[in-house]
Amino acid sequence: MREQAQLGGVGTSARRPDGPAKVRGEFTYAGDLAAEGMLVGVTLRSPHPHARITRIDTAAARALPGVHAVLTADDVPGDLHFGLTLRDEPVLADGVVRYAGEPVAVVAAVDAATAGRAARAVEVDYEPLPALTDPQLSLTAEPLHPDGNVYRHVSYRCGDPDARGVVTVENTYRIGMQDPAFLAPEAGLAWPTPDGGVAIDVATQWLHSDQQQIGWATGLPPEKVHVRLAGVGGAFGGREDVTLQTHACLLALATGRPVKFEYTREESFLAHRQRHPGTIWLRHSADASGRIVSVEGRVLLDGGAYASTSPVVITNTVTLLQGPYRVDNGRFEGWSVRTNNPSCGAMRGFGVPQAAFAHEAQLDALAAALGMDPVEVRLHNALQRGDVATYGQRFDAPTPVREVLEGVRAVPLPQGPARNAPGGVGRSAEGGTVRRGVGYAVTIKNLAFSEGHVDESTAEVSLCDGHATVHTACAEVGQGFVTVAEQVARTVLGASTVEVTQPDTLIASAGSTSASRQTMASGTAVHRACLAVRDRLLGRVAREHGLDAAELTVADGVVCAAGQPLTTVAEAAPGRTFRATEHFQHPDTHPLGSPEARMYVGYGFSAQRAVVDVDVELGLVSVVQIASCQDVGTVINPTQLLGQIEGGIVQGMGLALMEEVVVADGRITNPDFQDYLIPTIIDAPEIVSTYVTDPQPGMPHGWKGVGEPPLCTAVPVVAAAVRAATGLALPAVPIKPEHIALGLGTPPTVTWTTPRPADPTLIGTVVLADEEVEDALGTMAEEGASPGR
Amino acid sequence: MSDEVRFSLTVDGTSHEVTARWSESLLTVLRDRLGVRGPKTGCAHGRCGACAVRADLGDGDPHVLCACLVPAATAAGGTVETIASIGGPDGELSDVQEAFLAEGAVQCGICTAGFVTAATELLESNPEPTRTEIEEALYGNLCRCTGYGRIVAAVETAARTRRGEAR
Ligand code: FES
Ligand code: FES
Repeated sequence: MREQAQLGGVGTSARRPDGPAKVRGEFTYAGDLAAEGMLVGVTLRSPHPHARITRIDTAAARALPGVHAVLTADDVPGDLHFGLTLRDEPVLADGVVRYAGEPVAVVAAVDAATAGRAARAVEVDYEPLPALTDPQLSLTAEPLHPDGNVYRHVSYRCGDPDARGVVTVENTYRIGMQDPAFLAPEAGLAWPTPDGGVAIDVATQWLHSDQQQIGWATGLPPEKVHVRLAGVGGAFGGREDVTLQTHACLLALATGRPVKFEYTREESFLAHRQRHPGTIWLRHSADASGRIVSVEGRVLLDGGAYASTSPVVITNTVTLLQGPYRVDNGRFEGWSVRTNNPSCGAMRGFGVPQAAFAHEAQLDALAAALGMDPVEVRLHNALQRGDVATYGQRFDAPTPVREVLEGVRAVPLPQGPARNAPGGVGRSAEGGTVRRGVGYAVTIKNLAFSEGHVDESTAEVSLCDGHATVHTACAEVGQGFVTVAEQVARTVLGASTVEVTQPDTLIASAGSTSASRQTMASGTAVHRACLAVRDRLLGRVAREHGLDAAELTVADGVVCAAGQPLTTVAEAAPGRTFRATEHFQHPDTHPLGSPEARMYVGYGFSAQRAVVDVDVELGLVSVVQIASCQDVGTVINPTQLLGQIEGGIVQGMGLALMEEVVVADGRITNPDFQDYLIPTIIDAPEIVSTYVTDPQPGMPHGWKGVGEPPLCTAVPVVAAAVRAATGLALPAVPIKPEHIALGLGTPPTVTWTTPRPADPTLIGTVVLADEEVEDALGTMAEEGASPGR
Repeated sequence: MSDEVRFSLTVDGTSHEVTARWSESLLTVLRDRLGVRGPKTGCAHGRCGACAVRADLGDGDPHVLCACLVPAATAAGGTVETIASIGGPDGELSDVQEAFLAEGAVQCGICTAGFVTAATELLESNPEPTRTEIEEALYGNLCRCTGYGRIVAAVETAARTRRGEAR
């Protein structure tokens, strides 16, 4: 379909409709909500990572003046258990706590201080149990939960996994736990409704998932649970799981009053899901030309205490271990397991940054072993349209791996010294110890939900006198769906004004705002609904003028007949409202290993080049520049696109260099922004962003999601550049100053089946002082740990 | 309660008589006692800048500070300008606010009030900041969404606009 550019339409840098309120400080975030007669909710959390609750007494708490309700597991009227994939997590602890921070009781009181006092007055006797915090041991340990310790075991092979080229490179990589660290902590306000139900305004990523899980906990049917989106201050996956939603609703029902929760920053770290930390072992074998002959990989992700999305994330990590490369022979296996560590779940990239960090380090190690240019090795192996993935799916859409790599290589290298010396203002060392490094990475990210998960959205659009209204359940979390929806309505309908109404559960599900999917899913639903409304409008105009509707078009707000202006959209049908509701569903996908072989809806490809300056004595890193070339389908909004790319890159850089939730004996030791460091404006590099536009089949305008690939690539590319600057292997992220300054790590295992050519320069890759992990992985493989107990 | 303090506080040109616990922060007073919701709570520990306001705490030296770090009692008799004081009376946007919108420096926007406040202060004292000066002025403000590139662009654009240069 051809649609013309129009002011504020698709392809322009239209401004955010919620922008003016945001720059004025007037936008209402969930934390800003208040209601007449509102009570404040507070959660009592377990201090132990693993313990049996032997006694719990709420009498003293309930007796405090100003306290309206104190609830424990016994007070949950519906099903105690919830979860995004497996329903293994109690709404309130069910006699055993499995992580430090698990909700044990919730309180509603007249104000926060009273609620806090009441929570402290709840008497809980714990019998501490040994905490299982090593994911290796989880495979063989006593089950921590009736559902067992393995969330999912994935295993498959293709071709001849034992095929070997002349050179083999193997190594074990470790990735730390990253926090989504959205800037607005969790908040929501629930109240009882006159029909005996409950309503909640909440900062969430997925309204209908919340509705379903609130329904389970309260025992209410879905039609009596009304969820509305409150202003969301960032999400990045961390709001996909239910946190306070069920608690607030249970308390509102118990007290008959509105109840508001607002977590502190510390509580936010305890309550939401982090990115999975993991260990990945990879063995690549290549021929003398650098072509990959075989890949073998094993992954172990620590899912923490409850499943969340652990059974899904592991498949992403394992299947995308091949990277954006053609691999004919391989053997892949992975586990996500239960421990008494914090629960891990969705975070931007969803298992792929882990894979990308490992496979890109391997490609560099291969290149070094063979004495080849790292980009040439990648180009030589780049996936192309028509290739088949190791898991059987054919790449049947544009697969511009070469193009993004060449695009990024074409960006001129930065000249001259970095803006900021390593360490930032005031912490730099002397120039003589600073070395520059350049690294490349390219990644593949699956877009949208996979493996048979229904991936759909619905939009209702109406148009009256040129004013359009768009209604969906798509959660705007900052990514800019509201802008895209407006742009589509302006372009398709020629609407002069567009209002995107508050998302709620009165309309059908839009699915989650995650997996880079909402522009594709909800954007397409809006597009279809706009087309249907336009048809209705044009049908009416055609009847009035005695014309054929097929002759009519809309351009820039003007209805044209055979290209000549006839009337404006605003004046075409005074007072008349045209309305349509349309649905979009992605093509069906199937679980890994099913004969249909389509696991994923589609993919995004991203290449980056990082230039870093490293003070090798102090171990400090300054990222000078990151050049990015990403395949984006088509550009819907250049400014917003750039914002997504830059934001994703800086988050990935954070994981590469500084961000780690440190867990000791099952407890988070840095649950705040003083010790959990996210990049500041000084840390952020110059970013040069270029695009490959190759329209995605089946999507309006050929658009595709863009939010995750930049992060997936930034992790390996920063690591590659630091390796290039230091000559160190650095197989773990975040790369800490001591890794560099103390030169921690050992060279990779490189094996030649033929005599090794004279003097290829080896840049090592390494195991970071963690032979135990490697040994255990080895043992695990030998013993063939049993899946899915 | 015994730890209550009473004091007057001028916020965005309106004077208030406040009763608060002495341990409460200025941010809590603004948000929960006075219903002034422009300053946001990101960390409550002075690490994110979401709560940044411009304040004169009685020493005649108005400057940008983290409202979450100021004990309420310290604010007695003070004058606070929040994001609501930036921009025109009828909702017109300031040049900095305009630039934040035009450059795409706003995503979720929870950091925006703090950034606009800090950037406005910067441009008042330094109309031609270098990139390094922008970074030094804004490194106390965290943004998790934008990666900062658009924010730097917005400050540079606002500076140019203020100097009367075309964008
Ligand atoms: S809330 Fe004040 S600095 Fe974060
Ligand atoms: S726009 Fe979300 S934190 Fe800055």
